Amino acid sequence: MKHLIVENLKYCYPLAKDLALKGVSFEVDKGEFIGVIGSNGSGKSTLCQALVGLVPNFYKGAYGGKVIACGMEVAKSEVAEIATKVGLVFQNPFTQITGSKLTVYEEIAFGLENIGIERSEMKCRIEHALDLLGISKFKDKNPFDLSGGQMQRLAIAGIIAMEPDVIVLDEPTSQLDPQGSEEVFQAVQNLSQEGMTVIMVEHKIEKIAAYADKVLLLSDGELVDFNTPKKIFSRSDLDEYGVSPPVYTKIAKNLHITDKLGLYPVTIEEFSQYSGQGREKL
Amino acid sequence: MRSLSLYQQGDSILHKLDPLTKILYIVVALALPSITASVKVSIACIISGLLLITFAKVLKNMVPIVSFSTIVILTIFIIQGMFYYANENVLFTLGPMTFYREGMLYALKIGLRIYNIITSVSLLVLTTRPSDLIEALVRKGLSPKIGYVLSSILQIIPQMTSMMNTITDAQRARGMETEGSLLVRMKAFIPLLGPMVMSSLVGTRERAMALEVRAFSSSRKKTFLNKPMESAQSTIWRVVLLIILIGAVIWRVTS
Amino acid sequence: MTTIRVSNLHFSYQEDFEVLKEINVEFDHRSTAIIGQNGAGKTTFVKLLKGLLLPTQGDIWIKDYNTKENTVAFLAQHIGLVFQNPNDQIFKSNVLDEVSFGPCNIGFDQKTATEKAKDALQMVGLLDKQNLNPYDLTLSERKLVSIASIVAMDTDILIFDEPTIAQDFVGREKVKQIIKDLIRKGKLVITIIHDMDFVAETFDRAIVFYNGNILLDGDTREVFSHKEELKKAYLEPPHVTQLANRLGIDKVFLNDEELTNYLKNIELKPQA
Ligand SMILES: Nc1ncnc2c1ncn2[C@@H]1O[C@H](COP(=O)(O)OP(=O)(O)OP(=O)(O)O)[C@@H](O)[C@H]1O
Ligand SMILES: Nc1ncnc2c1ncn2[C@@H]1O[C@H](COP(=O)(O)OP(=O)(O)OP(=O)(O)O)[C@@H](O)[C@H]1O
Ligand SMILES: [Mg+2]
Ligand SMILES: [Mg+2]
Repeated sequence: MKHLIVENLKYCYPLAKDLALKGVSFEVDKGEFIGVIGSNGSGKSTLCQALVGLVPNFYKGAYGGKVIACGMEVAKSEVAEIATKVGLVFQNPFTQITGSKLTVYEEIAFGLENIGIERSEMKCRIEHALDLLGISKFKDKNPFDLSGGQMQRLAIAGIIAMEPDVIVLDEPTSQLDPQGSEEVFQAVQNLSQEGMTVIMVEHKIEKIAAYADKVLLLSDGELVDFNTPKKIFSRSDLDEYGVSPPVYTKIAKNLHITDKLGLYPVTIEEFSQYSGQGREKL
Repeated sequence: MRSLSLYQQGDSILHKLDPLTKILYIVVALALPSITASVKVSIACIISGLLLITFAKVLKNMVPIVSFSTIVILTIFIIQGMFYYANENVLFTLGPMTFYREGMLYALKIGLRIYNIITSVSLLVLTTRPSDLIEALVRKGLSPKIGYVLSSILQIIPQMTSMMNTITDAQRARGMETEGSLLVRMKAFIPLLGPMVMSSLVGTRERAMALEVRAFSSSRKKTFLNKPMESAQSTIWRVVLLIILIGAVIWRVTS
Repeated sequence: MTTIRVSNLHFSYQEDFEVLKEINVEFDHRSTAIIGQNGAGKTTFVKLLKGLLLPTQGDIWIKDYNTKENTVAFLAQHIGLVFQNPNDQIFKSNVLDEVSFGPCNIGFDQKTATEKAKDALQMVGLLDKQNLNPYDLTLSERKLVSIASIVAMDTDILIFDEPTIAQDFVGREKVKQIIKDLIRKGKLVITIIHDMDFVAETFDRAIVFYNGNILLDGDTREVFSHKEELKKAYLEPPHVTQLANRLGIDKVFLNDEELTNYLKNIELKPQA
């Protein structure tokens, strides 16, 4: 089943000269984990906001094409209704606190109250989200008194607790410590295995290579490629799009380590498999 | 960024009482003196308010509010005592100033009314978390949007303070003197205004988007994390308050 | 030469919870990365160095100035800090004004200040956006503006709190180059960052914060050899080192070149 259908999506911010998205088309199945990569200004955040309808409903501006998320055409639906099906974690953790709740616990409850979740279920989900993001300790703290990384964890928890069918994450681990990022990727992968569709923008290439089912490469508002991590990162023209392959791939390229099809390893596991022979010599 | 509130944590019965009952208390306490037109009732209301506040262990938090209003009331006494239009009988003179009985009585009435408002409202404000109050109103059908606006208004001053601190930090971190004499601080304050307006405008847009993706204006029926605070006790309180109110009206009509 | 001395430092925001406890450390000319778990107290620590927060106990000297006895504005001539959240730092309505604000305040005349600001904007690649309102820039650009604002002040000590937030590969390399240039000019650069590859590629010294205290402090290569402690502090070695370890090579590698050269010599071949 297709959870997301994007058809020839074009968008221009009000007052902007250039299109931020120039005819992007792709489809995503239920439960797929899609990594979105591309240089600064390539349109990643704009795409994220288009998937939940903030573009165009919130910004106005010139819009063309279609986004159908879980059967809803987003341009023709209310953002708050889309939000019950498609969750978005913004790029900047500092601007996602609602400001109407006094504790971390209540902050997570905000979305759940709005979509009418029963109290007992709500508590269950909040506890689970707190645990998943490792912020249980701070549940009674004022959200504004958290460190940057803690706030980012809270932002993710607030959306995960709403259990959307599709979750869109815009650089959700930019301020997390290394193990924290790893945990978030794992948690998100679990969710996708349970059937949640995941769209994640990230600059942490090694992680995208290890976790994403498919990678969507954006450049200057256009979709350059939408394929498996292996195919994407084996491309020889990545530089042109301001993207660097995982360091494992870089080293493999230098050492000419490839699989039978001529593709390079993109994860640590693949690298050690391909170079298995060499390892015995060590 | 905390909320602008005089709320004092505590676990007295009054803290646990639901906000709407406390609002009913305010209504009754303010209505009684007008209905009965009696100074004694006014004083009784104030005393009962003070007793309840003492009972909730927040009396000392009233001191700043009371001292501020006392200054206001003193000026009322001076102005009305000297210049009330119906002044006739001299009560006493103080140097060049003459105080009249009618004016002083009038000022006394206003003063009592102010104290009455202050004690009954303090009872609500000192023992109720603002968010609980708003939530109680939303449960009773107030639109969540208005509720959000109300809670933002409650946060305006702390938000401004925290925004000001943030900008001050940004300024002094880059060499602008913001500490020291009043003049230095004033000089630093004025250039703050522009950025503050700016960042609150931008903040508002980002905040609005953050709320929408959490389904804020969804048409679904809202639920609440917290249980309603109403209990059997609230009902008793409410009934008692209503009986007093109705009693006062009947007394007024029949006498 | 010691440029920063921290002695017996304690700090808490609220009485019941001590965020930093008993920190003693000195900074010399070596470029230093501060790494550690979310909430370990890194941002708090650099705000203390900057004088924006004052120790609840203990002392901090920037050069010879005790942060308790000097105003933040005075210390700003010697120490610059790029805030973690660029929105907290930016307050002017024009990029060039924003970047020249610092140099103007610490005694450069208008002309020199503007020059320094333009140089700094050139460095981060935003010179063509000098007349825009910073609020119209994207997050990654705002972060670069906040970096330029501090670099333009030309202080001897510069602190970066997570400078690579939102940066793509090119931006990350740009920030790395800026830091390396500053180091080459003899400045003390201290950087909080969660990107271990960046740390390995850029800094001489690494300090690991753990629960408000210093767990490890030493040469970067040495610090990354303490696998157990790193794990405890929610960190990991750089990706190249992880790869080497997976291949059974128990050494720390700091960049892909080092590992490539090492592997070339032992000849790895793909499986047939
Ligand atoms: N609110 C806005 N108004 C006008 N133009 C905008 C707005 N937001 C983004 N843009 C422009 O749209 C283009 C795409 O921006 P977008 O934020 O989607 O990029 P991105 O890939 O998310 O970049 P980054 O990696 O920096 O987050 C950029 O050229 C940007 O300048
Ligand atoms: N204003 C504040 N009031 C109360 N506690 C705070 C405040 N700011 C931070 N804290 C707490 O102090 C601790 C240290 O915070 P700090 O911001 O220094 O962490 P950090 O190491 O920079 O983390 P991160 O990597 O997430 O940015 C955290 O547990 C945080 O919750
Ligand atoms: Mg973006
Ligand atoms: Mg921090």
